[in-house]
Formats: sequence, structure tokens, C-alpha cells
Amino acid sequence: MPNQYKEQEDYIVKKGRKTMFMLLAALMTAFLLAGCTAGGGAKFKVGMVTDAGTIDDKSFNQGTWEGVVRATEELGIENNYIKPAGTTEADYLKEIGNLYDAGYKLIVAPGFKFETAIFHAQSKYEDAKFVIIDGSPHAGDYNVVVGKNTVSIFFAEEQSGFLAGVATALQLKEGDLGFIGGMKVPAVQKFNWGFQQGVAYANNNFGTNMTIKAENVIYEGSFDNVAAGQQLAAQMYDRGVKAIFAAAGGVGIGAITEAKVRASAGEEVWVVGVDVDQYAEGIYTEGKSAILTSAMKGIEQAAYDMVIAEKDGKFPGGQILTFNAKNNGVGIPRENPNLSDEVEEKVAQVFKDMQDGKIAVSDEQGSLIE
Amino acid sequence: MWEIIRQIFPYAIAFTIPLLITALGGLFSERSGVVNIGLEGLMVVGFFAAALTIYKLEPVMSNAVLRVILGLLAAVIAGVIFSLLHAVASIHMKANQVISGTAINMMAGAVTVYLARNITGSGNIHIEAGVPRKDVSFLGLVKIPVLGPLFFRQTYFTTWIVIAILLASWFILYKTSFGLRLRACGEHPHAAESAGINVYRMRYFGVLVSGAFAALGGAIIMVTYSGEFSGTVSGLGFLALAALIFGQWKPLGVLGASFFFGFASTIANVSQAVPALMAIPPILLKTFPYIVTLVALVLFSKSSQAPKASGIPF
Repeated sequence: MPNQYKEQEDYIVKKGRKTMFMLLAALMTAFLLAGCTAGGGAKFKVGMVTDAGTIDDKSFNQGTWEGVVRATEELGIENNYIKPAGTTEADYLKEIGNLYDAGYKLIVAPGFKFETAIFHAQSKYEDAKFVIIDGSPHAGDYNVVVGKNTVSIFFAEEQSGFLAGVATALQLKEGDLGFIGGMKVPAVQKFNWGFQQGVAYANNNFGTNMTIKAENVIYEGSFDNVAAGQQLAAQMYDRGVKAIFAAAGGVGIGAITEAKVRASAGEEVWVVGVDVDQYAEGIYTEGKSAILTSAMKGIEQAAYDMVIAEKDGKFPGGQILTFNAKNNGVGIPRENPNLSDEVEEKVAQVFKDMQDGKIAVSDEQGSLIE
Repeated sequence: MWEIIRQIFPYAIAFTIPLLITALGGLFSERSGVVNIGLEGLMVVGFFAAALTIYKLEPVMSNAVLRVILGLLAAVIAGVIFSLLHAVASIHMKANQVISGTAINMMAGAVTVYLARNITGSGNIHIEAGVPRKDVSFLGLVKIPVLGPLFFRQTYFTTWIVIAILLASWFILYKTSFGLRLRACGEHPHAAESAGINVYRMRYFGVLVSGAFAALGGAIIMVTYSGEFSGTVSGLGFLALAALIFGQWKPLGVLGASFFFGFASTIANVSQAVPALMAIPPILLKTFPYIVTLVALVLFSKSSQAPKASGIPF
């Protein structure tokens, strides 16, 4: 009896090996063939590896991808993205390698989580170019090494948050404000600190009377816990908070859902969106949105610029670029249906002062709430 | 303390309800003798079906509540259809039920995102309005001291539907001959068959009900706290399975277990926003329900009252 099983097992294993071998062979042939058709010409191909979240996350990945698509379509070159199975350095490196092997020589990686992966990739694939957004390559020790073939892009989130803070304070005039962040990482923290400075600026210069209490400044700890976002927002609104600045990806979606439920019941509550113009996310009934304004960063433009630069032979390799108010890399949306014209004018003036260097926004905590 | 509980309670209930209805679905399936670890996938199917239906109805139907109801119905139908796969495989084909359930989980996540991208152009489906949240002023219920603010403040109508289903389930399982037969199929199907019960039919009923309930659970997530389909219910289906085991395969036990999970998760989620809870490291609160489950499962493993024929093909 046991023997019979053994034989059967052997058979299955052998059969399995054979099928696997054949599959492998087929795959290799396919890759070889694909390799033949690609490659030729001076044209390059642009690839992207997504961070945690999907390509259509209406935030970071999507913004980057839209920039890549816009540029590659204008130039008539190929693009592709890969969503890694996980968010570890190994997952990222594997997909970067896959893109490289398939002939994608300009690879865009959105998010600080790519820092170590890009550090290894930039020396491993010297003839490829890398763009890392919101991070700088390092070996895990934070000793930044931007290779000659890499450009690292940062945004002045604090300026973006500052403008949103000014706009929020001007529009609501008095009351409590809150902040919900995702993970406690520099990009999110800078949004928070900028927002607090913006509110304080409005209080001092425009006579508004907004407060931010320490208990209403929270980092949820993830970017995908929608339920927690909703529940945290509910707690804050129950305590009388009028608007929450949600820089938290999916957690922010939960906060927006909560604001929508309350707004449809007639409560006056708002969410300040992040990264992209989130007005459409907050629509709860015809023509009404719970999104007051959004603290945007020009991710799409940054990705677009890099592809075009590569095409023109001006790829700023080895550099760390900062997109800020001066180069229109951050700001609030052009149209804010929930802000009055007067508020928009004042915010535009503040933006101009920022560009002229008359207003300085700190990207450090200082005396602010963490 | 009272203030904290009063503040958190309505949201804890909202979080509990999808868990409860899904676990209840699992209860029907297992009581009829079929293990269903595909609950997670079935929730995702309901999550998706509700999102898509409501999204598609938005331009043509102005009544938000009606849209939501149709969305919930669509989810139930989709769940029933999807669970048919599990039913046919594990009842007629006598396949390993764990593998079939795993297949459901893997397939649901992939198929729904694929469909969402192709139908709406995005893997994330966003709806404008879900279920309105209201105080229950009927008979002045919300004014009852202590209980009023806990149970009747800021409730969704879906909560009352699920409570009604729970009570009906208890009645059907324990007070009707149909329920007795269903349970017999999960305990000793051969004995049940010799008594003239159609075991196949009972098991089909059990699995399809689990599909309907789990999908309803997913749909309730969509119309209450999520508001956006994202392709995953982040393990709530498995948590529902744990609640089913923790609740010893009994409707009221499941109610207790899922409420425990719901309340503990909510506390963990909002701890940072409640000054009194800030002193406790969030990691402790977040792992608390799972550690308690592990301990409870170890303690109860001796006296486990799992349906005896659950998981065994007939």
C-alpha cells in the first residue's frame, strides 16, 4: 500500500518537473523573441515600479504614472509599469531588474520606500537612468549617494501644507482643525508642519482664530487602513473639529467618507485633500464636495519633466531636485469651489510672497506639534 | 471611561456589523457540513458588486437610499452566484473544501479588480453617497438612559437589517425542523440521509447563504465606512472565520465574538485620538484582539463544538 503511494508520488513529481521545464523553456523563448523586437533605434523606453497601492490610487502612483504616460505619448515611445508583489527592497529590485531586462532604460520609482532599492540598482545597471520621487538613494544608513544616472526629486510639502493651512483658516475663520497623517515619514510630517505654520500665519496676519490641539494631530501608522481613517475622523468631528487635513492615502479616504456622511446630514465639516486635487473624491451630492481645498504637489509634472529631459539629453543625473513654490511644483488647486473669491485672492498673494522669498516656511518641527 | 465608551460605541457597532453577517454566513455553511474559508473572497465580491451597481446608478437615479438598497441586493446576488463555484466543487465534485475556498479568495481579488478597471477605468470605484447615519428617534429610543446613546445613536439602517437576520437565523436553526435538518447534515450526514433528508440540497443551501451573507458584509463595508472599493477587505473575512470559531458555531456566540473583535479593533484604531488611551502603545491595542483569539482558541480547543462532519465531503 505505501509503495503504491510512493510510486504515485514519484510519478507526480516527475510529471511536475517535466511540465515546469517545458513552461520554463517556453517562457525563455518568449523572452528571447521579445528581446529581438525591442531595443533597436535611439528611442528609449520608460518604465515605472509602483509603490504600495495601485496604479490608479488617485494619489502618488497615479500622479507619477500620468506624467510618464503624458510624456511618452507625446514622444511616441513605449511605457510600462510593474506592481511589485510586496514592498520590500527585494521586491522592488526584482521588478527594476525585470524592467531593465525588458529594455526599459529610464525607470521611475515613486516613494521613499525605494531609497535602498534604487541605491543598489543605480550601480548595478549603470546604463539605465533612475528617477526617485520623495527620496534619495542610500544603503540603509541614510548616507545619500545619488549616482550619475539617478535623479532624486523632493517636494516642498511644507509650502503646500502652508498654503492649504492659510486657505482653510481664511475660509473657516474660527474653530478647531485636525490633522491625520499616514506613516510618520518626512513627506507627511512636512505637510503637517507646513499646515500648522500656515494656520498660525493666517491667525497672525489675517485675524483668523483657528486652533490645532495636540490630540487632533495624529499619524495613523499606515496608508491603507480605511476603517481607522473613518473612525479617527469621526472622533475628531465629534469633538468639534471643523476641518481635517488628511495626508494619509487610503486612511484619508476613510476620513473623506466620514466627512461626506456628516456633510449630507447638514453638519459643517471639511477635509483638506492631499497630493492631488481631491475635490471629486469628496462629492456627496450634486455639486457639493466635502473637500475644502487640497495641498498638492506636482508629481505628474515632475515625472513628465524627467522623461522630456532624458529625451533632450539633459537628464539631471546626480542631482537632487526640489519642486517648490518658486518653480510651481507645489500649491493648491487652480479652482476651489468651496473657497470664496476673496480667500483665493489672499492665498494667491501668499503664494506670490512665498515665491518672492518674503514668506519662509520651515520644514522642521521646531515648536510645532510633532 | 463612560465618555470614551459612549464616543466609540456607534463606530464600533458599524465596524462589527460586516464581521457579524459574514461570520453568520460561515455558520450556515459549516453547520451544513461545508467549510468555507472563501468568506474573504466572497466579501470582496459583494464589496465590488455594491460599488459597481451604485456607481452605475448614480447618473440615472437621484434617490441615494434606493441606490444603496439596489447595491446591497446586487451584492447578495453576486455572492450567491460566486459561492456556487465553491458549492459545486465541494459538494458535487467532492473537492477539498479548503483548497476550493482558497481558490475563491484568490480569484475574487483578481477578478474584481480586473472588472473594475475594464468597466470603470480604475481599480478603485468611488461612490458619492452611502447609507445615511441617523439617531433612532422611533419611540424615543435614543433617549433611553445609558442604552440610548450606546445603541441608538448614529446608526445605519443596515445594522438593523443584520440584527434582524441574526435573530431570524437563530430561530431557523434552533426552532424549525429545517434548521434541525441543516445541522444534522453538518453533524452526521449519513444519518440525516437515512432519515430522508437531501444532504446535497441542504449543503447547497448552507454554502449559498454563506455567499449571500458574506457578500452583504462586503457591501455594508462599502456603503458605511469605506465609500470606495479598493479590491480588498483587509482580512476581515478571515477575522469573521475566527469569530465563528471563537463563537463556537452558535449565532449568539458569533454575535459576542464579532462584537469583541469590532470593539477591540475600533479602540485600537482610535486610541491615538483619545487622550485617555494615548498612554497605551498602539501596537499593544492593535495586537490585543488577535492575541486573545489565539489564547481563546487554545483554551477552547478541547471543548470545541465544531460540526463533526464539517469539511468532510459527503
